[in-house]
Amino acid sequence: MNTDSLDGATPFTPKERLLRVLRREETDRPPVACMGGMMNAAIVEIAGNCPATLPGAHWDADQMAELALAVAKQTGFENLAVPFCMTVEAETLGSSVDLGTLACEPKIVSEPYQSIAEVPDLDRESLLGAGRIPVVLKAVERLAAAGTDMPIIVSLTGPISTAASLVNPPAFFKELRKKREDAHRLLSRISLFLGEYARRAVRAGADVIAIGDPSATGDILGPALFEEFAVPYVREVVRAAHAQNAPAIVHICGDTDSCRALWPLMESEAVSVDAMINLAKLKSFLPGIVTMGNLSTYMLEFGTADRVARRTEKLIRDGVDIIAPACGLSTSTKLPVIRAMTDTVRSRRRGT
Amino acid sequence: MSEENKVLFRGLSDAVVNLEEEKAAELAREVVEKNIDAYEAVDKGLAHGMDRAGRLFEEDEYFVPELLIAADAMYAGLDILRPHIKVDSSSEPGKIVVGVVEGDTHDIGKNLVKIILEAKGFTVFDLGRDVPPETFVQKAQEVGADIIGLSTLMTTTMPGMAKVVEILRASGLRERIKVMVGGAPISAAFARKIGADGYSANAIEAGELASRLLAEIRAAGAQAAAG
Repeated sequence: MNTDSLDGATPFTPKERLLRVLRREETDRPPVACMGGMMNAAIVEIAGNCPATLPGAHWDADQMAELALAVAKQTGFENLAVPFCMTVEAETLGSSVDLGTLACEPKIVSEPYQSIAEVPDLDRESLLGAGRIPVVLKAVERLAAAGTDMPIIVSLTGPISTAASLVNPPAFFKELRKKREDAHRLLSRISLFLGEYARRAVRAGADVIAIGDPSATGDILGPALFEEFAVPYVREVVRAAHAQNAPAIVHICGDTDSCRALWPLMESEAVSVDAMINLAKLKSFLPGIVTMGNLSTYMLEFGTADRVARRTEKLIRDGVDIIAPACGLSTSTKLPVIRAMTDTVRSRRRGT
Repeated sequence: MSEENKVLFRGLSDAVVNLEEEKAAELAREVVEKNIDAYEAVDKGLAHGMDRAGRLFEEDEYFVPELLIAADAMYAGLDILRPHIKVDSSSEPGKIVVGVVEGDTHDIGKNLVKIILEAKGFTVFDLGRDVPPETFVQKAQEVGADIIGLSTLMTTTMPGMAKVVEILRASGLRERIKVMVGGAPISAAFARKIGADGYSANAIEAGELASRLLAEIRAAGAQAAAG
């Protein structure tokens, strides 16, 4: 399908449309987006046929920008998104990372600390200039300079997931109860670090800050610890984006029904959720919430284009504000199936 | 059971469910000093407490941090009691190999499964995370495992589970070794599709499933021996 003819008649550019939705203003139709980071769409079919390939684009700003442009162009997602992994923050803070291959995403090899108390003080200034954060920021500048009408989303890994990539996760989760003050101190330092990263990303040209915090799920923490440890520190990062006049989207993994009343406390403009959450129901529970999601990535990998198109139709009918994958896409997901999703949204007009 | 033993076992159980590691160790030492049957203290005390903690987990009263701390209390007692358990050859524990499939490094769920299986008396061989399919089969063969337990949190790595079943089939081990799968994106339908023997939605169910699969294996073995 020719996307130019689809977009030609619409009154909004993709950037205007996404920003309007996040401001709860009227639009012609929902945007279809993919927030990057843990939920990036740099599938093998794209990265394998692009001069800017993976894993190289994880540490080269030019390649990162070029691949982000190729992903948007080929998938039909109406945004540019960097980076293509969720390891940038933890690696900067000291975790050893395997940057993977074309087909395998980067992953944390081992957490350097066995206890929260072992994590040294973070020197924000020097850290932000180290590791791959400057690469991401430079890629954002390149994307901004490319002058497209796509919104640029920079995807950050949230405080709990970053902390659980630094400290051995079972120890970390136990110490949330057993060493509360240590945990608060660490999360506070991490959220300040992430906040500064967010600020710099917006100054480099990001239009939206996305925060993926898969470990900050009610499934793992339960509502009490979610409220005590996830909400305030995710909100810190959201507020850092807001201080730069950029909206924020928070992605939450898992079936977090028990925590959903707490989501608005994070103050993000939109909440992106996993496939098992019924977004229509969520909207009646939290009126006014801007929802993003939640097409099953399992269906995207193993389902047919037809089924994906039908499922996408249903999400639109349910009033989901931003149509997006529900979780991280498999790198072996096929382009025609993703196109079935994006074309279904992009061929929509209000009231059709 | 004497009244004194009963109180002590209840104390051990309470220490686990109330997340009191030191209390569990203290009571376990008391069991040893008083020459009370260590196996019974584990069964009616520590494992009983872990079972209660597991039920609270299923009821959304406890979550991962609580279950992990309860396990610490159980292990604190177990470390003290284990050397005093009289080996009973008539009831050989089931052997199970567990791990997170290749490509995934999320192992919280697998760790919980391991805890529950150990509380149920299984001998658990933990391969850790990011484990290639072949390694599961090699390890299972090497230790003579009854069951292989596969976990993943990522849709991307689910095909690795099917691969394990295929390798077992290709090496003629499929009849002898049961396969159970679990993890957030996994469903009973997926388990059936790849030919696994069972699916569990959480660690507590995984413990029950493993016990059921072991009972099937033992029953089939007894039948074969009788036939």
